[in-house]
Formats: sequence, C-alpha cells, structure tokens
Amino acid sequence: MHTPIDWEPIWVTFWLTLRLAGITTLLLLLTGIPLAGWLAISRFRLKPAIEALISLPIVLPPSVVGFYLLLAFSPAGAFGSWLLHTFDIQLVFSFKGLVIASLIYSLPFMVHPIQAGLENLPVSWREAAYTLGQSPVKTVWKVLLPNCKPAILTGIVLSFAHTIGEFGLVLMIGGNLPGQTRVASIAIYDEVEQLHFETAHAYAGLLLGLSFAILVLVYSINKRVTI
Amino acid sequence: MIEMQLTFPRLFAAGAGRLEVSLEVPEKQLVAITGASGSGKTTLLRLLAGLEKPESGVIRVHGNTWLDTARGVNLPPQQRSIGFVFQDSALFPNMTVLENIRFVPGSPLLADTLIESAGLRPFIHQKPGKLSGGQRQRVALVRALVRRPQVLLLDEPFAALDDASGAELRQTLLTLHEAWGTTTLLVSHHADDVRTLADRVIRLEYGTIISDTPVAEKTSGQEVIQRLFFDTDARQWVIETEATQLRSGNPVWAQFKPGDVLPFPA
Repeated sequence: MHTPIDWEPIWVTFWLTLRLAGITTLLLLLTGIPLAGWLAISRFRLKPAIEALISLPIVLPPSVVGFYLLLAFSPAGAFGSWLLHTFDIQLVFSFKGLVIASLIYSLPFMVHPIQAGLENLPVSWREAAYTLGQSPVKTVWKVLLPNCKPAILTGIVLSFAHTIGEFGLVLMIGGNLPGQTRVASIAIYDEVEQLHFETAHAYAGLLLGLSFAILVLVYSINKRVTI
Repeated sequence: MIEMQLTFPRLFAAGAGRLEVSLEVPEKQLVAITGASGSGKTTLLRLLAGLEKPESGVIRVHGNTWLDTARGVNLPPQQRSIGFVFQDSALFPNMTVLENIRFVPGSPLLADTLIESAGLRPFIHQKPGKLSGGQRQRVALVRALVRRPQVLLLDEPFAALDDASGAELRQTLLTLHEAWGTTTLLVSHHADDVRTLADRVIRLEYGTIISDTPVAEKTSGQEVIQRLFFDTDARQWVIETEATQLRSGNPVWAQFKPGDVLPFPA
C-alpha cells in the first residue's frame, strides 16, 4: 500500500544532519589546522604515537570507538559523572555528545590531507622563512598554509562527508531521538526496518543529491584554487 | 670575522664519513666554496645557518657565539644574522615579489634601496611563477639582504640559470656586495663565479678542506665594453664587447659606459 511521505520529519532530520556535519567540520578546521601544522614540522619524539592516536578511528570499527566513548560519556563513569555534576552536561543521547564524538571520529579526515599537503611543499620554503627570521607559527600560517589550499579543501570535504555518513558511532552515542540525535543515516535504517521504502528513498535520494552537489562544488573550486 | 670548527657525520659519494672543517673568514670577504657534488659544500652552509646541528663544534660571528656544543649553545636560524639564498630560490609563490621582500622583518627603506639596486622595480607586483630563473634569484638575493645579515650564504644560486641570467645575477651580487660589504660564502661549481666574484676559494673533498687560496685578480681576463645602448623595441640594455653582445632589462646596466671592464663574464 502506498503511504504518503511526511516531509516535515525528513527536513528536521536533514537540518540536524547538516548542523552536525557543519559544526563538526568548523571545529575540526579550527583544531585540525594547527595540529596538522605542528605534525608537519615537528621533530617531537612521541610524534608517531600522536599520529597513531589520531588515525585510530580509520582502522577501528565505529562501534569500538562508540563503545569507548559511551563508557567515557556515561554519567555512570567518572568523566561523564564529573561533567554532569560540575557543568550539568550530559553527553550521552544529546547533540553535544554527537558533536564531540564526531570530532574524534572525523579528526584524521581533516588532519591527514592538510598534514600531507604541508609535508609535500618544498622544505626550502620553510627553511627560507626561518632564515628570514620568521617563527614556525608565522611560517605555517603565512607561507605553508596559503600554498596548500586544495589540501585544506579536501580536509573540509572529507570531514563533512564522513560526518554525514556516520552510522554506528552516532547510534551508540546518540541513539535515535527525532529532532535531537536522529541523523539521516539512522533515519534511512529506521525507515527500511519499518518497510517505509518511499521515505527511505526520500532520505537516500536527498543524501545522494547533496553529496553529488558538494563534490561538484569542490572540484569546481579546486580547479580555480591556484597558488 | 667568522670562526668555525665543525664536525658532522655525513654520507659522502664515497660512503659514510665526517665533515670536519676549521675555517676563519674575515669581515666583508667573499669566499667561494667549490668541490665535487656530495663533498659537503651545502652541508657547510646549512650548519652555519643552523639548519643542521653538528655533532660537535663552535661557530662565532663577530664575537657572538652562534654554536658551542660543549656549552649547549645552538641558536636557531631566526637568531643568527644570516641571509640564505637557496638553489631553487625558495620564493613564496603565494606572495608577489614585493610581499616576499616585505615578509622579512627589516627596514622598508632598505628594501626599496635594494629593489632599485637589483633592478627589480619593473616586476615587484608579479608572483614568482611569472619570473625568469635569473629574476627569481635576484629577488631571493634582495630578500636575503633585507635583514642586513652579518653573513650571506649562497647555495649554488647560478646552477639553474642560463649564461645571460647567470651573468646578470653575478653583476647584481657584485654590486650589492660592494655596496653593503656583507661577509659572503658562495657555494658554486662554476669557475666563472670564482674568477669574477670571489676573494678566496676553498675546495672541499669528502668533508675536508683540501685547498684554501686567495684570488689575486677578480677581473682578470675580462673584456672591455665597446658600445652600450638601450634597445627600445626589446626594452633591454645592450652591451657589445669585441667578442660578444649581451642583453638585459636590468637598469643597473645603465651605469656602465664604453671603456669599462665588463664586470662579469661574457
């Protein structure tokens, strides 16, 4: 039997998904650029350990990351309990919790492209800036980052797309609360479970269109980004 | 006066070895460092600049200690009074010529003077990608001098240039060196550089100085300018000697006159 599609919850879910991806990407940009800049020029002894830590979400199943974050965020645990009693913040089953989990989960997708972009620039540019009296911070900010705009753009797109596509982690931390933690990927799963294929199609089609539009935009911008 | 004694483990063409150099360079001297590829020339400049850390050694410049491994002193490149011109010029492609030069903390007035002296004025608003190899190296040279460094280090600046561009850069270097008297170490393969620029030539082999000789007469064997004019169609200065004709857009050439000895190789 044909069931008419109720578009309102779809728009609510999409708006939530885009908000999560947008906020996560923005915060990742603010933290990922300095981190990638430091990793690109640092000779710190423990750098490999830090790089491995950042990359863990790539190799671990999302459910593993989600499980440990759930333990950490849970009010039954020390950290979650401290957050709840000190700041009245509960991260489990909340949008804030989703943002923090997404930050951790998508961090390598922002850091790796930017770090690789910076490391691929000629070493002589960095050394020239040093011999001209400039600090490492100013060198990264004024010389290196402006010359790896495509890598930054790649980091932004990968982080955004990866956050939009999250499923296991979001389900474990946020559950499936409409308007609060129910993102598009979970909604599709939920609708298919209930055999609401038209609604699932609407979600999937919108995600497909959005992803395609983002990629077209990125490729167009990337062509125009010249040094 | 630059005084240095340095020891640095390094892989040479003949295998693993040690760069061991003890050297004194008086103020305002222009020293050419020559030697085969992999003999340690560039490493010596990088050690002086603080881009490499030696196993042991001392570097003192005009009485200031830049490096003393026994005392744990090792100033970073930012705190050493150096100008470094890299083989690939290392200009920042996101900045114009002027922005590259003004990126250096230094006097804007001095920057302007150097821009004029090196004939860079016509293309100060261009990005490095639009410049020829010779123009890029002239920009790199000016940029390196804006800090008024005590020591200027040039790592094969002529290596990637054709003869005309190389001659033009040699002239710019000579003009600026005579004007500012910066103590200079120039790594080069080319006999022309040594003949026309250097006061002294040091030859390295497998990280060791095998000869250290003064250059008696910088301009020996050079030619006399017979005719100088400005080609308005090509917008270039033209110098004719008995043997050749040279062209350049460098306004410094306007200062020459017939009868002058050509201050760079034809």
